[in-house]
Amino acid sequence: MLSFLSFLLCNALIACAFAGSDYHERLLLRPLPQSTLLASFNFRSNESSVTYEQQNFRLFPRSLGQILQHAHTKELHLRFSVGRWDAENWGQRPWYGAREGSNGVELWAWIEANTEDEAFSRWLTLVNNLSGLFCASLNFIDATKTIRPVISFDPEGDHASTSNLHLLHGTLPHEVVCTENLTPFLKLLPCKGKAGISSLLDGHKLFDAAFQTMALDVRPVCETPGENCIVEMEQTVDMVLDIARSKRPRDNPIPRPLPIEEIECDTSKPYNAPDTCYPLDKRTEPAWNLTEVFGKSLKGACPLTATEGPESETLCINTPPERTIQVNTTGQYTESLSASDTLRCYKLPTGAEFDLVLPEQRMTTGLVRGEPHLYAARSINGHGQERGSVQVVIKNPSTTDPVEFAYLESLPWFMKPYLHTIRVNVPTSTEDPLKETYYRPAVDRVRGTHLELRLVVPPASTLTLTYDFEKAILRYTEYPPDANRGFDAPPAVIRILGPFQSADRKGLYLRTTPLLLSLPTPDFSMPYNVIILTSTVMALGFGNIFNLLVRRLVGADEVPEVAGGLKGIVQGKIQWLMGLFGKHQKSE
Amino acid sequence: MALLATLLALRKDARILKIPPYLSAFLILVGLGWLLVLPLNEYSRATYVSENALLPGQVHTYFTGSEHNIFRAYRHEVAGLVDMPVQQRTEKLSELFRATNLKVATQKYAYTPSGRNISNENVYAVLQGPRADATEAIVLMASLKTMDDEHNYSGVALVLALARYFKRWSLWSKDIIFLVSGDSTSGPQAWVDAYHDAHDPSKVESLAIKSGALQGAVGVEYPAGPWGHRYDKLHVVYDGTNGQLPNLDLFNTAVNIASGQMGIRCTLQRMWNHRDTYQERLQTMLRGMLSQGLGHATGPHSAFIPYHIDAITLVTVGDGWHDEMGLGRTVESLFRSLNNLLEHLHQSFFFYLLLEAKRFVSIGTYLPSAMLIAANFSITAIALWVQSGRWQEPIPNPAATKPVSKPATSESSIEPKKQAEEPTQQEEPPEQKDTEPPTTLVSNDGATAIIPTAALPISERPLFLPAAFVLTAHLFGLIPLAIFNTLPVEELYPSFLLAANITILLPLGAAFFLSQFNRPTPQETTLIHCFSLLFLGMFLSALATLNFSQSLMVGLLTAPLSFVRRGKGGLGSAAQFALLAAVNPVMVVQAAAYAAKVPMLDVLVKAAEGWEIWGLWTQVVMWLVWWPAWFCGSVVVASGLI
Repeated sequence: MLSFLSFLLCNALIACAFAGSDYHERLLLRPLPQSTLLASFNFRSNESSVTYEQQNFRLFPRSLGQILQHAHTKELHLRFSVGRWDAENWGQRPWYGAREGSNGVELWAWIEANTEDEAFSRWLTLVNNLSGLFCASLNFIDATKTIRPVISFDPEGDHASTSNLHLLHGTLPHEVVCTENLTPFLKLLPCKGKAGISSLLDGHKLFDAAFQTMALDVRPVCETPGENCIVEMEQTVDMVLDIARSKRPRDNPIPRPLPIEEIECDTSKPYNAPDTCYPLDKRTEPAWNLTEVFGKSLKGACPLTATEGPESETLCINTPPERTIQVNTTGQYTESLSASDTLRCYKLPTGAEFDLVLPEQRMTTGLVRGEPHLYAARSINGHGQERGSVQVVIKNPSTTDPVEFAYLESLPWFMKPYLHTIRVNVPTSTEDPLKETYYRPAVDRVRGTHLELRLVVPPASTLTLTYDFEKAILRYTEYPPDANRGFDAPPAVIRILGPFQSADRKGLYLRTTPLLLSLPTPDFSMPYNVIILTSTVMALGFGNIFNLLVRRLVGADEVPEVAGGLKGIVQGKIQWLMGLFGKHQKSE
Repeated sequence: MALLATLLALRKDARILKIPPYLSAFLILVGLGWLLVLPLNEYSRATYVSENALLPGQVHTYFTGSEHNIFRAYRHEVAGLVDMPVQQRTEKLSELFRATNLKVATQKYAYTPSGRNISNENVYAVLQGPRADATEAIVLMASLKTMDDEHNYSGVALVLALARYFKRWSLWSKDIIFLVSGDSTSGPQAWVDAYHDAHDPSKVESLAIKSGALQGAVGVEYPAGPWGHRYDKLHVVYDGTNGQLPNLDLFNTAVNIASGQMGIRCTLQRMWNHRDTYQERLQTMLRGMLSQGLGHATGPHSAFIPYHIDAITLVTVGDGWHDEMGLGRTVESLFRSLNNLLEHLHQSFFFYLLLEAKRFVSIGTYLPSAMLIAANFSITAIALWVQSGRWQEPIPNPAATKPVSKPATSESSIEPKKQAEEPTQQEEPPEQKDTEPPTTLVSNDGATAIIPTAALPISERPLFLPAAFVLTAHLFGLIPLAIFNTLPVEELYPSFLLAANITILLPLGAAFFLSQFNRPTPQETTLIHCFSLLFLGMFLSALATLNFSQSLMVGLLTAPLSFVRRGKGGLGSAAQFALLAAVNPVMVVQAAAYAAKVPMLDVLVKAAEGWEIWGLWTQVVMWLVWWPAWFCGSVVVASGLI
C-alpha cells in the first residue's frame, strides 16, 4: 500500500509542476515485473495565449500552432500507439490511461465552429494538415471514421472564453506507427532530441518495445477563468522495454541460445547431466544501465529547463529503496529522495553525459505496482462470413467499490451491430448494469456506428457485454490491399466515471485491443476472368455479325471469271484501268 | 432446321429409351478411368508455394545449442507428468509455461458420447507478440497422447522448449498460442470450439484468455520417450474433419522447409516408402480419398479446419538419424514463415488430392470424375421419368411397310433390365400378324392425319405414392441416425446387428406390405425409382464439390441402383435383390471394417464420438442419403419378387 501511495504521489508531483520555467521535461523510470522497464517521458511547453494569438511562437512549435489556428482547434489530443499494456503483470497504466491511445492513431479535438458542418470541414482541414506534419495517414480519417462522443471525453483545458466547441474523434486502427512518426514528434521539442531526456529516444528501441504510446496534447490553461491564459503543449512517450531484449547490441540482435555454461541449471533434478539442463529462474532483478537499454547515452540536461527546484530534476526512477543505483557522469548532478525513498530524482548536468547503472540484485521487497481500477478484454465470437458477435469482459478487482464507466465503441459502417442484441450480464447482481445508451446508427458508406454506454460493474464481479453484428458485403473497389487479412475495428475506449477520480482533469481511461473482422472477400482474379470471357464472347459475336453484314453473297456463276496468278492480276488491272477510263469518258 | 426436326422426331422413338443404361454405365466407367489417369504426369502438377509472403526456408534457424539441453530436461519433466492425476499434471504444465513468462490458462472438458466419459484438461499459453495488437494468432500444439495412443513425450517437450525459445524473439507480428491438449482429437476440438464461442458450456469450459483471429495451427506428434529416439521421416497429416483440407500453401511450406532446409524427407497418408511410381501415387491418392471420404479427425489439427483455420500435424516416423532439434528447427522456420503472412492463407488450393509430397491434382482436374458418376443417376432418373409417362404398349407405325409386331401384354413395359444385363441380346423377331393396328382419323385446321389409336390416350403419372414413399424412406433414415448416436457403448454392437438384419428384410417387408393394397403399380415403381435416383444424383453432385471422395465412394457403391429394374419375379429379380443386399450400406460398412481389421464396435464408437464432438457428417450421408436410396432401389426390385 505504501508503495502504491508513493506511486500516486510521484504522479502528482509531475502533474502539479506548473509555475517557473515555460518548458518542463521529466523522465520517470519504473521497473516492472518480468524484467521489463517502463519509461515515461513527459515534455511540456507553455506559451501565453496572447503571444500565441499573435503568432509569436517561442517554445510552442510554429508548424503546429499555425495548423491549430487555421483549423480553429482549441484543444487537441493525438495518440500513436503500438502493442498493448499488460495490466495483469504491469498494474496501473501510466497517467491512468489518460495519455494512452488506441492501437494505431487516435485523434480527438475540440473545434470552434458555428455549425456542425463548419466544424466537420475544419476537422478535415486539421486531419489533413496533421497528416503532413506527422507523416501519418491521418487524412484517411473521413466521415466514416469520425464520431462525436458524448460522455467519454471532457475538455482538459479552460474554455470559458470560447463557445460553440465541437468534439470530434477519429481512429485509424491499422496505422503502423514507426520511426517516421517519431522524427516529426521529436522536432516539436525545443531541444529536438539533442539534449535532455529526449536524447534517449531512439527509433530502434522505441519501436522494439512491448508497449509504446506517443501522445500530443494541446490545451489552454487559465489561472483564473478567462485571464492569464496560456496554451500548453504536452508531449508524452510511454514505453515498456524488455530489458533483456533491449540490452542486445544492435549489430547482433539475434537471440541465439546462450552457451550452456551461462545457463543456471537445476542440479537437484535427478536427470541433471552435462547434456540435460532444467533452466532455473533467475530471481534477481537484471542489471541494466540507460545507455544499454535505450541504445543512446543521455546527453545531459536540456538548457531550457529550470535550473533550480524540483522542476530541474528531470530524471526520476521509482524503485524500492534497497535497489542499488550508481550514477556515472563527469558533470555536476544532484540526487533527491522523496515519497518514502521510493522515488529518486536527479538533476542532470548540462553538457555532460549522464548514466544510471543498476547492477544485478536479489530483492527482498516487491516492485511498485498500482492495482488497475478495471480489467477489460474484448474479442469476436462466432465464425463464418455473415455474422458474428462481440464479447467484452470487464472485471472489477475492487472488493468494496462498484465502478461506473463509459464504454465507447466506434465501429466501421460495414460492421452492423444489432442494438436489440446487447446483453449486459453481471452474474453476481440482479440490478441492471446498463444505465444509459447513446447510439448513432451507421449509414452505409457515409458514417460509422457510434455506441456509447454508461455501465456500472459491482465490486469483485465481472461484467460481460455482448452484441451481435452483421457483416456487410463491400463493393469490389472498396477492398483495401491485402483484403484477405480482414478489417480492423478500433479498440473500445473505457472511461472510469466513478468513484475513482483523477487528481487533474485528464480522466481515467483504459482501452481494449482492436478486433480483426474478416469480411467475405471476392476472388480478385474473377474480374479478369470475366473480362477475358466477355471479350471472347464479344469477339465471336461481333465477328459473326460483322461478317454477315459486310459479306456480299453472290452465286458461284456470278463471280467474274478471273484467271489466277500473274496473268489474272494483270488482267484485273487492265479491266480496272479500262473502267476508270470509261468512267472518265462518261463524265466528260 | 433439319437437324432440329430429326431430333424432335427422335423424341418419340422408342429406341431412345434404350440408350440411358449404356450411357450411365459409360459415365461410371469414364469416371473410374478418370481417376486412374490422375497420377500421370500429364494430369497432375508439381506443388508450388503460391503465397509470396511465406518465403519458406529463407530464414536461419537458431534452435540449437543449449536449447537441446533444455529440451532434454523438459522431456524428462513431461515423462514424469504423464502418469500424474489430471489436476496435478495441469498445474505442473502451467508452471512450466509460467516459468517462461507466458500467460497461462486451462480448460476442462467432459464429453459423453455413447455413454463413455471423455474428459480431460487442456493447458495453453499465449505469447503476446511484442509488436502485435492481439488481432492475429497462430497455434503450436501437441496432445499428451498421439493419434496412435502413445505418450507424446517429445512432442509436448518440444512445445515447451519452443515456447521458451520463441519468447526471446521480438519479431513476432502475431500472438503465438501454445496448446497442450489432453487428448489428440477431443481436446483441440473443445479448445477451438470455445475459442469461437461455439461450445456447449455444460461440457466445455469457456476460455479465460483469448487472442486474435487464428491464422494457422501446427501440431507436433513425436512419441519418443525420455531417452529420445531418432526418426527417419516426417509424416505430414492434413485431413480435416468432414474431408475439409487446409490450404495447400501450408502443406507445401512444411514440406519445403522440412525437405529443402532441414533435409528431412516428408511422407503422407502412411506411405512410408514412396518411390514416386505410378502405383504408389495412385495408392497415396486412394488412401487420401478414403481418409477424406470417411471424414474422421486424423489428428489434433483436424478440429481447426472447419473454422477455416489452416492446420497440419507433423508426425515423426521410422528409425533414422534426424533428431528432435531438426523437428524443432522445422517448426521454428514454419512459424517464421507463418509470421510473415499479411493475409489469411487464401492464394493456393483448398481442394486437392495429393499424390506425393510434391505432386498434386487440383479440383478442376479431378472433379469431373465424381460429377460423371453422380450424373449417371440423374440420367437414369430422367430416363425413368420419360418411361413412366410412355404408353404401356409400343405403338405400331401405321406407315410401316413391314408387318407390325405383336403388341406386348399390358404388364410388360419395356424391359431395360434385360438390356442392362444382356445388352447384346437382340429382340425376338417380330411375329407376323395379319390385322392392321387400330387407327383414328384426326383433322385439325383443315389437315387430316391417320394416327394409331394407341398413341392418343394421355398417360398420367400418379405422383403421390412415389413421392410420399421416397420422402418417408429418407425420413426413416433419421431413426438409425438417432439410435447410433445416442445408444450407450454396450448396446451399440447388438443394435448394429439388428440394423443389419432389418435392413435386409425391410425392403421385402415394405414390398409385401404394399402389395397387399395392389400397389405399387409398375408405373409407380418406376416413379419411386426415378425420384430416388434423382435425389441421389443431385445430392452427390452437390457433395462432390464439398467432399469429393465421399461423393465418389457413395456414388460407386450405389451404382447398381441405376441398373436394377422391377422384374417379373424369378431368378433375375432374385439375383438383382441379392446383388443389392450385398452392397447395402450396413453390409458395406461391416465388410470395410473387416477388411481394415478394425473391430466393428470401434467404428461405431468412433462414429458416435465424431457426431457428438467433432461434428462429423458422414453418418448423415450414410443414413439420410445412401441408405434411403438403397432402400428405394431394393423395394423396386423386391416388388417384382413378391
